[in-house]
Order: sequence, then C-alpha cells, then structure tokens
Amino acid sequence: MFVLGLSRQQPGASHEMIEKEGSDRLKGQVNSVSWSGPIKAIINPLANFYHVSMEIIGLISVALQASTLLLNKRRRQLFFSLFQRQVYNAGVAAIYINGIIGILIGTLLISRLFDYLPRQIIEDQFGQIFMVVVFRELGPLISGIILIARSATAITAEIGYLRLRREFQVLNGLGINPVFLFLLPVFFAFPVSLFLMFIYFDVIVYLSSFTIVWLSDPSISFTGLLTSILSQITLNEIAINAVKAILGGMLIGIISIYFGAKVEDSFTEVTEAISKATTAQLLVFFIINVLLSLLAYTQ
Amino acid sequence: MPLIAKNIYMEYPEAIVFKDLNLEVADQQMIAVKTEVLDGGTTLLKGLAGMLDDIVGEVHLDSMDLLHMNAAQRAMTVGYVHEEQGLVSLYDCYQNIALPLQFHTMISDELVETRIFDLCEQFSVDRKLLNEYPHALNDVQTRMMNLLRALVIRPKLLLIDELEGGMSEEILEATIHSIRGKQEENSMIVIITTSHDFLLSEADRSYQIENKSLLEYL
Repeated sequence: MFVLGLSRQQPGASHEMIEKEGSDRLKGQVNSVSWSGPIKAIINPLANFYHVSMEIIGLISVALQASTLLLNKRRRQLFFSLFQRQVYNAGVAAIYINGIIGILIGTLLISRLFDYLPRQIIEDQFGQIFMVVVFRELGPLISGIILIARSATAITAEIGYLRLRREFQVLNGLGINPVFLFLLPVFFAFPVSLFLMFIYFDVIVYLSSFTIVWLSDPSISFTGLLTSILSQITLNEIAINAVKAILGGMLIGIISIYFGAKVEDSFTEVTEAISKATTAQLLVFFIINVLLSLLAYTQ
Repeated sequence: MPLIAKNIYMEYPEAIVFKDLNLEVADQQMIAVKTEVLDGGTTLLKGLAGMLDDIVGEVHLDSMDLLHMNAAQRAMTVGYVHEEQGLVSLYDCYQNIALPLQFHTMISDELVETRIFDLCEQFSVDRKLLNEYPHALNDVQTRMMNLLRALVIRPKLLLIDELEGGMSEEILEATIHSIRGKQEENSMIVIITTSHDFLLSEADRSYQIENKSLLEYL
C-alpha cells in the first residue's frame, strides 16, 4: 500500500523525502492557519462587504441613469404599468398583514399601559406615547420587516427566475435596457409602498388602541384622542418618516435586485440569493432606522 | 439591400466557433443553415445580428453596419426568433409582441394592435393566445409568439433559430409560406438555422457549418 502510494506521488522519491515534504507542508498549513486564518476571517467579510456596497451604489447610479428614459411618453406608460403592479403587490396588498399586526400591537400597547399606568395619565399622555412608540419607531420597523418578508423576497426570487430564463438577454436583444423594466419599477415603488404601509399601520394601531380605551371608558372622545396625536406630529416627524421610507424602500429594492441578478444557472442559487438578500435587507433597514432615530430624536 | 458578412471571427473563451466566415445574401432571399446540436448555429445568428460582443469582421445590411449600430437601431432592423423561451414572463403575449414598438417608436396603440391582429391572421394564430402569459404556452406557441414579435417591427433581416421543433409538417409549411408572404411585403432577408429537410429544400440556398465556416449544402 505504502509503496504504491510512494510511486504515485513521485517516481524515484524516497520515503523520507516524502515524509519530510509532507511534514513541511503540514507545518506551513498550521502556520498559515494560526496566523493568516483569523486575519483572513476578519478581512474577507470586510472586503466582501465593501465590494457588495460598492456594487449596490453602482446599481443605484445605474437606476438613476435609466430614469432619464422616463422622459419619453411611451416608455413612461410602460414603466407606470409595472410601477403600479409593484405598488399594488408591495404596498396595497400588504394592508391585510399590516392591519392584523397593527390591531395586535394597538391592543397590546394599550392593555399593557393600563396595567402599568393610571388611566388619567394614559388619557392625558396618549398622544405623546403614541408618537414616541408607534409613529417614530414601531410603525417604520414593522412595516419594513413586512416589506422585506412578503415583497422583497418575492422580487429576489422573480429576478433570479428571470435570470435563469435568460430574460435579461432577451431584453438586451430587443434593445431594451433590463434595468428599465426590472429594476426601475421596484426602485420607485418600494419607497412609495413603505410610506403607504407606515400610514396604514399608524391608522390601524390608533383605531385598535382607541377601541380598547373606549371599551374601558365610553365617554372618551374619538376626535379628542386623535387631536392629542395630531398635535404631536410636526413636519420634522413626517420628514424623518419619509426619509426612512425613501432610503429604506430604495435600499430594500436594490438589494433584492442585486442578489437576484447574481443568479446564473441553478435554482439553488435563487434560494441562496433570497437568503443573502433578506439578511442584508434586515441589517440595512435596522441600521437606517436606528441611526435616523438617534440623529433626529436625540436631544 | 443585400447582407454581406466578411471575414467573421467568433470565439468563446474555450474555443473558436467561426473563422474567416463569408456570406452574401441577396434581397428577399431565404437562407437555411443546417445545424447539429451545439455546432454554433445560435452563435452564428446572434453574431450576424451584432448581439454578441467581440465579433471580428464586418456585417453590412445595405449601408448599415450591424456590428456597430446602437441597440435601438438594431432592435428595429433585425428580428430574432429564439429557439426556446425568449418571451418576457412579466408580460402576456400581446404585451410581449407590442413591446419593441412601444419602447422604440411612437406608433399609436391602435396601429400596434392592427399590426398584431394582422400578423395573427396571416400566421393563423388564435387571438385568444395573446392574453396568455408565457408559462401557459407550449413550445410551438412560444416560438410562434417569438416570430410575431420579430415580425411586428417589419424587420429588414429576420433570424430564426430552429423554427421546426415540435411543429407538424402542416404548420411548418403554412408558417414558411406566410414568412415568404411577409418577405414579399417588406423586402426582408431571412436566415434560418434548421435540421429539417423541408426547410433546407424550401430555402433559396442552404449551408452547413463545417470547419468553423459555412459550406454550401447540396
């Protein structure tokens, strides 16, 4: 067995030579593991993150360039049919799930507050509590998670499928930039959808919260409670939510397209793309939300 | 309006596909190229249309340089029929066929519709199919929709990648007859890759791919 192994390795080489060579190689591997391993383990993900970030920025610039095609009326019509489809799928059809979660959050929020605070304080401070907890933080976060879970994953899968079917090449053959048909509608529809979802969520949380308050005190006024919230909403609050929707929606859409477009030949690449895209989207969306909240609301 | 291809050289990273290929096709001619599996038939068509990068040589259609024209010009000059798939899944068949006209021209929606319905009639395609999405079509229907989309632009050069797959003799004959009719109407050159004897005999000239070039097929 050993002789056979020796002759296969290198005709004419001695047992000792092979052993020494093998031992040196092993030492080299051990050394490289002990020194370069941890460094690579730190550098590689950072380099990869940098590379992906640059490509995503590149994709944003490609989308902005492709936007000039919208100056043509016929192309604008083509774009709007796909844009409407995306807004309907991502923003309008999300009303059910957004609504259900809004009802649960509204009910939970008020019933918990009743457990911890006197009713008078809740009624007096309702507007402020709603603003800080729901309008500023929970609305954007939960809407973003819903957008990622039900629409962004679908877009990543759709783009991956279009890549598998070579439909990007088909469009190129027709002289049509695939960015125009596949990327641009998502790029513009996701921020609009996310903003719509913020609105549904806030409205539904308010309605369910009011229902709970009203059940415990039927004398409470619907408009009085609503006014207490509206008096808290400044232009600044709306602008910050709009920035969260625009930045968050745009990046969620672009990340879906980016990973979907990485698919080449195999269906397994589609699942991999969905997984990577979802991870990146959750991370990016949480970072945007936390940073914007810290910047805007920290005194 | 002849098509002249001179000294064409095409290669993939691992192999040369065509070398010193020359071809001249007169106006309104139909050329058939006999192909085998993976012998470069699709590459030939896409290369002649200028749809591939790094093609060496010249391809002129009348005074137009096909290898260096912009994508929009090419899309309105060359009609390409894919061997399989080739439709955009987001759109139904009508939208797929109308897409090049809607994207590249200002032709009114009414005129686009007239052109599409006329083509359906000429090629005996059931109009109901226009409302279907690509996933609902069989191979032959998909290829017919590809053909209608290629013809709706009234191309000067029509490239067809293996039309016959799955088609009955009857449909194939009727389709070729209709393509001949369109050739007379629009003064169009047709190049078709095929392994079907009927198409090889029906064409004005036939070639086969041999030694990385085209040889007359007798």
